Amino acid sequence: MKIGLEIHVQLPTRSKMFCSCPTTDADAPNTHVCPTCLGMPGSKPVLNKKVLEYGIKLAKMLGCTIADTTWFSRKTYFYPDMSKSVQITQYDNPIGYGGMYYLNGRTPIRITRIHLEEDPGKTKRVGELSSLIDYNRSGIPLAEIVTEPDLKTPAEAREFLGQLIQDIRHIIDLPGDGERSIRCDCNISMGIERCEVKNVTGLKNVERALTFEMVRQTKILKAGGKIDRETRRFDEERGVTISVRKKEFEADYGYIDEPDLGIYHVKELANSIKIKESPLNRSVRLSKEYGLDEKTAKQLIATSMELTDLFEEVAKATDVQTAKTWIAGVVSANWKAFECRCSEHLEQDSTRNGILEIICKYKAGEITDTECSLEIKAYMTGKDPESVQTESSDLDSIIGEFLIANPEIIEDYRKNDKAINKVIGYVMKRAGGTYSSTDVVCAAKKLLQEKI
Amino acid sequence: MNMQSVLSSLEKTNLRYSMFNDFLKNGEQGNSKFLFSAKDNLTSKDFETCSGSRILEGYHPVFDATAIAKMREAGGKLIGKTNMDEFGFGTFSTNSGFGIPRNPFDLERSCGGSSGGSACAAAVLEDHVSLGVSTGGSICCPASFCGVYGIAPTYGRVSRYGLIDYGNSLDKVGLLSAKASDLSKYLPIISGIDEKDPTSCVQPKLDLKKEKIRNIAIPKEAIDGLSKDVMTAFQSSIDTLKGMDIDVKFIEMPALKYAMPAYYVLATSEASTNLARYVGMRYGHQDGDLSLKFDDYFTYFRSKYFGDEAKRRILLGTYTRMAGFRDRYYAKALNVRMYVINQYKQIFNEYDAVLTPTMPFVSPKFEDISKMTPVEAYKADYLTVPANLAGTPHLSVPCGYDGNGMPIGMQFVTDHWKEDLLLTMANEWDHTFDMKRAEVSL
Amino acid sequence: MRSVGLIMDREIIERVARAAHIALTEEELAKYSQDLTDILDYFKVLDEAPDFKGSGVNPVEIADILREDEPRMDIAPDDLLRDMNTYDNYVRGPRLS
Repeated sequence: MKIGLEIHVQLPTRSKMFCSCPTTDADAPNTHVCPTCLGMPGSKPVLNKKVLEYGIKLAKMLGCTIADTTWFSRKTYFYPDMSKSVQITQYDNPIGYGGMYYLNGRTPIRITRIHLEEDPGKTKRVGELSSLIDYNRSGIPLAEIVTEPDLKTPAEAREFLGQLIQDIRHIIDLPGDGERSIRCDCNISMGIERCEVKNVTGLKNVERALTFEMVRQTKILKAGGKIDRETRRFDEERGVTISVRKKEFEADYGYIDEPDLGIYHVKELANSIKIKESPLNRSVRLSKEYGLDEKTAKQLIATSMELTDLFEEVAKATDVQTAKTWIAGVVSANWKAFECRCSEHLEQDSTRNGILEIICKYKAGEITDTECSLEIKAYMTGKDPESVQTESSDLDSIIGEFLIANPEIIEDYRKNDKAINKVIGYVMKRAGGTYSSTDVVCAAKKLLQEKI
Repeated sequence: MNMQSVLSSLEKTNLRYSMFNDFLKNGEQGNSKFLFSAKDNLTSKDFETCSGSRILEGYHPVFDATAIAKMREAGGKLIGKTNMDEFGFGTFSTNSGFGIPRNPFDLERSCGGSSGGSACAAAVLEDHVSLGVSTGGSICCPASFCGVYGIAPTYGRVSRYGLIDYGNSLDKVGLLSAKASDLSKYLPIISGIDEKDPTSCVQPKLDLKKEKIRNIAIPKEAIDGLSKDVMTAFQSSIDTLKGMDIDVKFIEMPALKYAMPAYYVLATSEASTNLARYVGMRYGHQDGDLSLKFDDYFTYFRSKYFGDEAKRRILLGTYTRMAGFRDRYYAKALNVRMYVINQYKQIFNEYDAVLTPTMPFVSPKFEDISKMTPVEAYKADYLTVPANLAGTPHLSVPCGYDGNGMPIGMQFVTDHWKEDLLLTMANEWDHTFDMKRAEVSL
Repeated sequence: MRSVGLIMDREIIERVARAAHIALTEEELAKYSQDLTDILDYFKVLDEAPDFKGSGVNPVEIADILREDEPRMDIAPDDLLRDMNTYDNYVRGPRLS
């Protein structure tokens, strides 16, 4: 089985790709529009600089070669939501090509190309009478990432997409709810001919659509049938793919160069742009540099990049084991509260340094491990140390009593760390609401570790 | 000069010459400093703008084209939108959806195209300048047929913002006037960088140092196929130029024969994408049956409202960029354009200007035009197309008259951004040449 | 002179017309086939043109013209929609399928 994806990412610019209309949510349809995005005769496009920058960042992230000179093309097709009946996209010289992206840092997935293009408007189906169009989305910048058919299963495709989205979000600061703004065309082939499922939204749906296709195509082949090369669409509600009438997508795009924009020499710009380390690359590096297991590395990164920074700082100041114990433990458990309390100052090292200092005191033997835990929690939550102590000793005693009453859990825990769930379930049932779940998990972990 | 009398008689004048699509009725001069008109493919807030096409009937733009806005800022009053071939598709202004402008020297003859209405207005109205647009010769051809001056500047010199696109890599906004001095007066006004049109943003400042053309090259290839009257007028003009202390030499320019097909491939390829937006939605006619499927609805409007030549060029341009044919036509034409530009550059290393007649014949009668095949009509542009393909600035000046009194023009081409040489030439030629104005009777 | 060579393939002109969304009557189909045949015949000279090094989108190089990412609206949307066929501020269009 071969699967290839074409992923459309909306780029988080403030204004549209070729005009200055805002990209924020509008109060009403057709209010963030101008002659350019409405395709009015006489209007002209002017490229948003930020779009090139985002394109370069993503191309770098994907290990693509960045073209010295890039330009745009016109793809002509007729649809009510495409205001000029022409989409400005890239054809001959895309911003990046020939990249490589490692799934889980191991499995290579080849990236064919990444190009930039404008989004059409949105259509509202109103049945037999007419359609209604909202051009607010018309001209929102998109990056399209095309992979080679290197993915092997629907689950792998989902995992790839999930990881890619996390990386993209980090590299270009895509808003948190960005998953809906990522759309995917999925190509899948069980043998010779491939089918394309257009416009699937969301990770789960990508896996569902591909799984449905896998089963459908396998059945046909087993029965001695032939797969038609065709375009299909995914019905989210019914979970099935449906063949789209051939004529609908059988367009003669007739690409030509876009003469209204000219060309772009991006070599210098590309050299001047440095990208942040992607979450994936960071997790790979953490394993290599600190011998951190993959699960912990991913957990740290998923919680926060700043938390991961702190891990590295502590590991350098003390040692890897100390860093792992404290950062993956009590610090991680209280990170959300810490973020809420000092969200403005989180990037500043001085804020994080408070935690580092406490751990260093512990390492130097100036405080006990219980004291260290309490100090960190007090520092991170902003509560006074006494109430933290009361809370935590209460929590500790509840867990301690439970473990004395049920010693078999400790034995279970040696074999399977899921045994901890029994402890957590008990505490939440008995004192739910008093303690945050992260606190409970952290305390239970600590006590169990002590006992074994 | 009397602006008010021009305004008062505009309706009558237009009745005779059909130079306008939409124009000012009973206009007042007010405190305007001069009157001007603009080709109907330049958007204006106060007039319907149709680009000569019925598919745009009812389009009232909400913004002014930059060239029009700049003329207004300089104190000009826009009096009307001039008639033209539909979207600029033609050599005789006979392909308009709204009547045909009449040549002021002979009402049975063409004004030339596609800026025919602008040339007519420049020839007929007193003290008048008109904004024209050239893609393949649409300023110089009508200027020549109507016996006036016309200049198409370097590609990108005048902002195309508000210009309804024909071929975006070829379209240029320029000027037509019976007064040579108007060209140097108004070109600096409409020129300049406009952030709304990227193609206007690389230009050096318009140089007005009044440099003169000292030597001229005439490509031998251009002299083939001229009518006798044009040849005679051209030869005597060469003598006049020599008398002005200008060196004139005949040269070879083999790239010329590729310019025409390359031009038509690029122009129609681009045009067919530009015209894809006219589908009976958003502007122009929108009165179709929305319960039709979109493909059928769009097809209905386009088939009903595009004229014959528009359909021909859309079909041609769709073909030349289609997968399977794109490399042979579109990609090749892009390459040939670079070859033609290169040949011009080599000539400009030695010569200040390239000179040819503007059109191979004087304005034909409408009955003869109707007998022409498309290829015959396209071939009529063989002298104006090369400079347009290359984006080099060019000027048409009246240079003689045939036995029937019909005007003949010749065309100077200079290197990119060298409009100053053309402007100086226009003024000098004006001192030397005995220009005849058409007799205007209403 | 009309070309006497092969008239353009009917299938191709139909494909072109369909792509361009223009309906042709039998009569028009015959006429435009002939016209396009003549014109393409005339274009054949392009095949002889030498391959020139270098290419470009525009006749003068237009390079690196960019806009800052600053949202701005110059024309009121109401004015833009003034002459459009709308319903509830949506632009009305034909059926999608």
